[in-house]
Amino acid sequence: MSKKLYEIVAKIMKVSFSEINDNSGPKTIPSWTSFNGYVLLHELVNHYNVQFTIDEAMDVEKISDIKRHLKNHGVNLDD
Amino acid sequence: MIKEYPLSEYLNKFIELDNEHKNHTNIAFLSSFTINGLSETVQVKCNEKKIYCDTYTGGYNQFSQEILNLKSKLYNFSPNLTFLILDLRSVLGDLFFFPYSYTEKEKKELINSKLNELFEIITFFVKNSNSKLVLTNFNSPSYSSYGIASMKSNFNLKDMVLYMNKKLQEFSINQNSIFIFDFDAFVSKFGEKNVFNYQNYFFGDIKIDLDYIPYFANELIPYIIAQLGISKKCIVLDLDNTLWGGTVGEDGFDGIKLGPQLPGNTYLEFQKNLKALKNRGIILAINSKNNFNDAIQVINEHPNMILRKEDFSSIMINWNNKVSNMYEIAQELNIGLDSIVFFDDDPVNTLHELPEFSMFEITDEDSKRSEMYAQQQIRKEFEISTPNLEDLLRNLSLELTIKKSNNFTNPRISQLILKTNQFNLTTKRYTAEDILNFTNDENIIVGCAQVKDKFGDHGITGVFIIKKLNSSEWFLDTFLLSCRIIGREIEKGILNYIINEAKKNGIKIIKSQYVRTEKNTPIQDFLPNCGFKQINNFWEYDLNNAFNMPDFIKIEIE
Repeated sequence: MSKKLYEIVAKIMKVSFSEINDNSGPKTIPSWTSFNGYVLLHELVNHYNVQFTIDEAMDVEKISDIKRHLKNHGVNLDD
Repeated sequence: MIKEYPLSEYLNKFIELDNEHKNHTNIAFLSSFTINGLSETVQVKCNEKKIYCDTYTGGYNQFSQEILNLKSKLYNFSPNLTFLILDLRSVLGDLFFFPYSYTEKEKKELINSKLNELFEIITFFVKNSNSKLVLTNFNSPSYSSYGIASMKSNFNLKDMVLYMNKKLQEFSINQNSIFIFDFDAFVSKFGEKNVFNYQNYFFGDIKIDLDYIPYFANELIPYIIAQLGISKKCIVLDLDNTLWGGTVGEDGFDGIKLGPQLPGNTYLEFQKNLKALKNRGIILAINSKNNFNDAIQVINEHPNMILRKEDFSSIMINWNNKVSNMYEIAQELNIGLDSIVFFDDDPVNTLHELPEFSMFEITDEDSKRSEMYAQQQIRKEFEISTPNLEDLLRNLSLELTIKKSNNFTNPRISQLILKTNQFNLTTKRYTAEDILNFTNDENIIVGCAQVKDKFGDHGITGVFIIKKLNSSEWFLDTFLLSCRIIGREIEKGILNYIINEAKKNGIKIIKSQYVRTEKNTPIQDFLPNCGFKQINNFWEYDLNNAFNMPDFIKIEIE
């Protein structure tokens, strides 16, 4: 479900929770600018206490990419 | 140090801002790197202080182009305050990475040429806008390719940064509209590794980490407060657990904590900081629920007290309600409650976080303020012993000196115009730049008045601005007196000067206006009392009429 991750994305992108799904990204959310995308990664780093590599940061096109990277860093998203 | 919220909190709060505050200002941000999120954070922080600010953020590293193009969005926005935020990499270019490939002479020449270019751009901006400009200085990077040998090198990177910062300071020091933000101190305070990280830098040329944007915004707020002229004037202090540890009523004179040992040393440090603020013109007062004799004995006699009775301009030590005491203090000092900050507890780490006392310049009047309030106390005692008003005024030996606006008087004129609420005819707010423009305008007269009496010098406490309408009419656009000299008929002395000047220039009518505000009732009868007649929306004084000038005021004209 990844409720917390969706909440963070909704807060940063200033959209409602119901608009978020695994395919959400810069193509589906107009407020997902490159700067807001960076603010989102920054927020995830602080919240999940992980460090993304520059390759990982550059690779994000939708939420499923973020979930994949977080899982690779050992984060359990089954909340 | 106050822990900040993450940037995302400010970006969210920004959407819900209510911009209904009366203090309004336009702020522009120009920079050589990415500063997204800064303007939103500053707006939220301003809103928390009841300041409504519109912001403009220039294009990425486009500051030169925007400044040099008078048709750019920057000039169209018409900022009151502009922050120009530059970083060392952008300014130095290759010299940043290869400082040791150049001789000292070459390095200095290169730096001077880059700084001169920057100064020309800045000078162009201040000449062509009404904005004050705040320029960041540069932080000294801890890394050097020379490693430990760098400290053996002449004019190493650190030396270069020191040299550049000194040049910036020298450039700004005599300019009324240019100020330096000490970015080097900001980075020292929070740590280079925290403020700058390479991931941010490579990802989006972000040279202030997103977590530190709110801290950086905090440091910019004092400039906004100073630009608006809404800085606080007075600190009101409790005594127990504020100026000393413990309660004097229970712990006794010898039992309170105030001395070189912990926790007494925290109170000692706090008092020293307060004394420094008092010396730069912030008024100190006491509002404490206590037995007067117990508390005043500590203030007068405790060997470790830094602040003594004469440091406080108003002392309320009693068992009354603290709120009513606060009203009395405001009344006694003739200032509004919104000019007061009250300290009750927790003295450690607070004074340095207060932007509310920020001023661009400390005037002579500021530095002497406490002395002036002490003289005011003596005057009050004198007033009580002289019950007849005319006798009192006659015995005060009032001296009024009319001065023209110039580089020396302009900072104080601007300060009075921005801060005076009560005896202010129109409450028009003009910035220092406006005053400078008026001074250079042959159709406008800007003057001020310095007042002295037998007890001391009140400093410059009156301001007037006259606009010449035509060959027979002048318009009294601004007329104000500081609250500390109201009730001495000084206003008639100043008006008498204006009338005489008008006559000398063949003027027949002086027009004016009373613009009512919540606070300026003390001046509402000034125009009719001085012989002005109301005609439609204006008040007019016919110069054929004789003016009754009080004979107890001696006037000098400089």
